[in-house]
Amino acid sequence: MRLVLAQIRMELTTLVRNYEQLLLIMVIPIGVLIFFGNVAVLPDSITLTRLVASVLTLSLISTAMVSTGIATGFERSYHVLKRLGVTPLGRGRLIWAKAGSVSVVELVQVTVLVAIAVGLGWSIVELSWWRLALALLLGTAAFAGIGLCLAGRLRAEANLAAQNGLYLVLLALGGVIIPVDDLPDGLGAVARYLPSGALAEVVHASLGGTPSGVWLFIDAPLGAWLVLAIWALIAPLAAARLFRFDG
Amino acid sequence: MSTVFVVNQRQHNNALDVQNLVIRYGDVTAVDAVSFSAAFGEVTAVLGRNGAGKTSTLEACEGVRRAASGTIRVLGADISTINNNVRARIGVMLQDGGIAPNARVRSLVRHYCTLYARGVDADELVAKVGLHDRRSSTWRRLSGGERQRFSLALALAAAPEIAFLDEPTAGVDLDGREMIRGIIADLVQGGCGVVLATHDLDEAERVAHRAVVLHRGKVALNDTIASLCAGGRRLEDVVREATR
Repeated sequence: MRLVLAQIRMELTTLVRNYEQLLLIMVIPIGVLIFFGNVAVLPDSITLTRLVASVLTLSLISTAMVSTGIATGFERSYHVLKRLGVTPLGRGRLIWAKAGSVSVVELVQVTVLVAIAVGLGWSIVELSWWRLALALLLGTAAFAGIGLCLAGRLRAEANLAAQNGLYLVLLALGGVIIPVDDLPDGLGAVARYLPSGALAEVVHASLGGTPSGVWLFIDAPLGAWLVLAIWALIAPLAAARLFRFDG
Repeated sequence: MSTVFVVNQRQHNNALDVQNLVIRYGDVTAVDAVSFSAAFGEVTAVLGRNGAGKTSTLEACEGVRRAASGTIRVLGADISTINNNVRARIGVMLQDGGIAPNARVRSLVRHYCTLYARGVDADELVAKVGLHDRRSSTWRRLSGGERQRFSLALALAAAPEIAFLDEPTAGVDLDGREMIRGIIADLVQGGCGVVLATHDLDEAERVAHRAVVLHRGKVALNDTIASLCAGGRRLEDVVREATR
């Protein structure tokens, strides 16, 4: 446990010194929430609860997939993972440490974003903490799995491009910024099978929003929970199978 | 500083025993039935041309690379089932560093001292490798020689009983080489077994007690430096002849 904690501290110290990552995981989500929470440019169908759900989903994807994936890809290419793997930390504890550092960052993100949302007039009364925690846990498993699949296979530069490209596609067309119900029919049907749309929906439901739509032939939110749970199972298994420690 | 270089436990004869090691990359056999040993308190140089299998052999001994067959015993333990207590006594210096460009000298050395938990003082270690004045610098701002010494410091954080050093003097200037030579001598004096892969045959002749020369993945020579260089022969000539 001592070694895992030491590595978590190192991971977080490195993160704080990396301004691009801070921009991605903190500045952008906070900026989006404050901007769209104050400026009436969104359609009426996007309530404040929906906006908060979208921003929490965006922040989780930023941290678990993009930030972790890009950082791990470069560490792999610099042989940092190989070097750490032959210390007493070993590969197993290294993975736990990465999971721990992601969890710490997400905890900070949720705390800050919920506090800002309350400041914008959002009511916390309907929030189910345990459902939100479960949603974030499943979402983290799904997106970290996807991020590590890319990071563990692609060259660092290709991985960087792929992570950013996938991030933008998921935000725009995956049911994060624009709710799945508001997407064109074809895109909406695809988004209902993606972890991004499912995560946004279950976070929305956890915040007290009204569930909508049919996911995997089951009404929301249960259908969306099911889609997210499947991704949370498949993506880490794929990462465990595909990931190569040395680039 | 004494804790850094003193080997306290000697429960086995050799620091390293490699038997019939085979490493394959797809259909290519990079290391073919290689066997050799490395003693405590000695420097064993693994020599050979590019692609001879030096780094593959060292990486298999470090536990980085999986062998297709053969056995490797490091400090008496099978590398494939090695536990953390043994792992903590092995120093590793990778050929490619294994350090992120934004890693700071003192911060990372301190972190490795924490991971190895062998009672090595990070500040003393940074000073030992001559990077005290560069302790706040990131890896990307260091010169080639400084980077090598930074990487060496991470190996020394283990207060190693066996140290695998892959090309430690590559790109290092004369003063830096002198310093690294001194550190290796300290390690040996403390009883550590040093396994050194290098292209620099003059360096090997100076610091090594034994040479294992690899050629096309096989052992071409395995003898003491004194025997190989008997009669005033230069190691470079001996190796060139064996790998022709």
